[in-house]
Amino acid sequence: MSSVIWYLYEFARKSWAEKFADAKTDQEIMETPSRFRDFPEVRKEYCIACGACTAACPAPMAIKLVRTKDNTHEKGITYPIINNRGCIRCGFCAEVCPTEPKTLLCGENHHIREKFTIFPQEKLYVIDDYLCIRCKKCLETCKNVAGAISEVDKKMVIDQSKCIGCGDCVKNCPVKGAVKAIYVDHVEEQKSIINLVVNTLESRIDEDQDKIMFLEPPEVYKIDYPTYELAQKAREIIPQEDLIRDTFEKITDRLKLRILTWNEEKCTDCRLCVSECPSGAITYDEEEGVKRDPDKCLRCSICYQTCPFDVPGYYLARFQLTDDPLDEGLIQITIKPSKLPTQ
Amino acid sequence: MILPIGPIHPALKEPLRLKLKTQGEKVLEAEIDYGYVHRGIERVMRGKTWQKGIFLSERVCGICSYIHTQTFAETFESIAGEQVPLRAQFLRVLTNELDRIQSHLLANSTYFKALEHETLFMYMLHLREPIMDAIELLTGNRVNMGWNIVGGVKMDVNQSHLDSIMKIILELEDQYDRYVEMFNHGPLVGIRSHDVGKMTREEAIKARAVGPIGRASGLKHDLREQHHTYHDHFDFKVIWRKEQDNYARTMNRFDEVTESIKIIKQAIENLPPGEIRKQITIPAGYGEWRNEAPRGEVTYMIETNGNLIKNASIRTPSIMNIDACAKYMMKDVATVPDALATYASVDPCIACTERVVIMDETGKSQEYVYPDYNIPYNE
Repeated sequence: MSSVIWYLYEFARKSWAEKFADAKTDQEIMETPSRFRDFPEVRKEYCIACGACTAACPAPMAIKLVRTKDNTHEKGITYPIINNRGCIRCGFCAEVCPTEPKTLLCGENHHIREKFTIFPQEKLYVIDDYLCIRCKKCLETCKNVAGAISEVDKKMVIDQSKCIGCGDCVKNCPVKGAVKAIYVDHVEEQKSIINLVVNTLESRIDEDQDKIMFLEPPEVYKIDYPTYELAQKAREIIPQEDLIRDTFEKITDRLKLRILTWNEEKCTDCRLCVSECPSGAITYDEEEGVKRDPDKCLRCSICYQTCPFDVPGYYLARFQLTDDPLDEGLIQITIKPSKLPTQ
Repeated sequence: MILPIGPIHPALKEPLRLKLKTQGEKVLEAEIDYGYVHRGIERVMRGKTWQKGIFLSERVCGICSYIHTQTFAETFESIAGEQVPLRAQFLRVLTNELDRIQSHLLANSTYFKALEHETLFMYMLHLREPIMDAIELLTGNRVNMGWNIVGGVKMDVNQSHLDSIMKIILELEDQYDRYVEMFNHGPLVGIRSHDVGKMTREEAIKARAVGPIGRASGLKHDLREQHHTYHDHFDFKVIWRKEQDNYARTMNRFDEVTESIKIIKQAIENLPPGEIRKQITIPAGYGEWRNEAPRGEVTYMIETNGNLIKNASIRTPSIMNIDACAKYMMKDVATVPDALATYASVDPCIACTERVVIMDETGKSQEYVYPDYNIPYNE
């Protein structure tokens, strides 16, 4: 009974009735507020096709640049289009848009223009202090363009907020690798391109194993491998030619492959290597004798150093790239026997 | 008998499986299964620039999304060893407290829904609506605000914005006591809440309960006391209670809303002039930052190389609170509806909880990643 009286008292209060009549029917509440961020609005005529919005967008597949076809009267124009399913309405594209007036409008975000906004770039330019010879050529080139490079504590430093990513410092640097342009985005795609190239090169070397096996120390075995088909496969992973070119160059610069051959005819089943192998790649079976599983092998060369009968052979392969890898480029593979001591 | 509830059930707002071991109507034990809304946000975050990462961190939680961006930004600021301008700090506090008010009101409304008290449920949502409008006025959107950035906040406020926020807050304060009294002295709601789902202080420490749930059990711990802005410029007291039951947890949240109103008033009155953003150069390094979210303590651990996020790990409060609920609160509960009410009183947020750090028996943490998880990117 007491509860009924309580609720009757509650309902009888005047303020309750007032608030009830007020619930989300006021004209003021129904109107869109001034700062409300809806999907970005595109004004095609101002676009300069710089790609800052696509680089900045945090959502995949939300924004992309398209180009209309040329006709007899005028040339086609490039402008961004927004996919409303992918867009998360953060307004970051409107912030980074460099045109005046802005191409993209989103809430009040297009009013935000900080002079120090760091545009997310495709490449990050860094100076390797270990390789730098302090010739200051990069500083002189950058002085006229962006003024991003300065000398701090006798070291060359790039100010990332001023860098415009022109790449002149890389071109003018006399030391290879002292100024690096690192691709910031598409890390997974870069990994898969590297895996693809390394795996194909390895399988190409495996085909010639019979010839490599009988190399004597001063001799060197050479293979030329055309890169065109590889580049086509890499294009399927990501259709950016610059990135593919850059990744190919980096691989051939740095990669050193260790190759282990296995001459079964010399094996006497002494089983010295079985217990030494750290990964368990070498096994012994009474019927089949000593077997090596190439997939498990780490190429650590311990079996090569322990075997008294020269069953494993240990070789090093180096690579060099000639010409454009997307066109008529060749990867020159040089294989030489290792100088590690054996028993 | 074992009574399964969920993962899809009208009583639950988010997917989760409750297994109640019952004897007649009495609930003896409870067990909880998660894993239905795992998204792997940390895995997606890895390899993105920090400018993009802040938008992902906002999507960790659907209700307290603001504090995640603030913690993300403050982690990076701690890596750089700098602090944002004072005006930006005050604006962050203002938004944070508005967000806390709406989160607490929503949490209490779901508790009343679980009690089948629909009148209070509607009242709470009615109170929450103007607060959401205030957030929209300030930041541009209601839930995913996109307002924080490393180095400050994005948009400045002018006097008219502050006036209308102050008006909303004063209106809330006027009516607020009446609704609290309805719960506090209402004849039916009290009986359903007192002495249900008790968790003692020792059990709360054992279960690492945080936030209002821990404070209702007598753990006086609020990370806002250690935060530099709150510590230096604001005057507030930490709410804690001794009753340890559903009533204490709900009342704790009610009282924290009044504290938040106080902080908002202070922030608006003492808002200093000046810049709202600052240039911060991020060096390579590792940073850790803890903040008080509406539900408790949220931790961000981020490793960066100056531009990319190399590794990120997030710890949200709900994971401890839900485990505490299953292990200590839901034992020897009188009826099944009471068990559900206890579950709702913990303010569970499953979307927060589905993080990817799993501790194994030896205490080593390992990250759980789906083997072939690969999001199509820029096709």
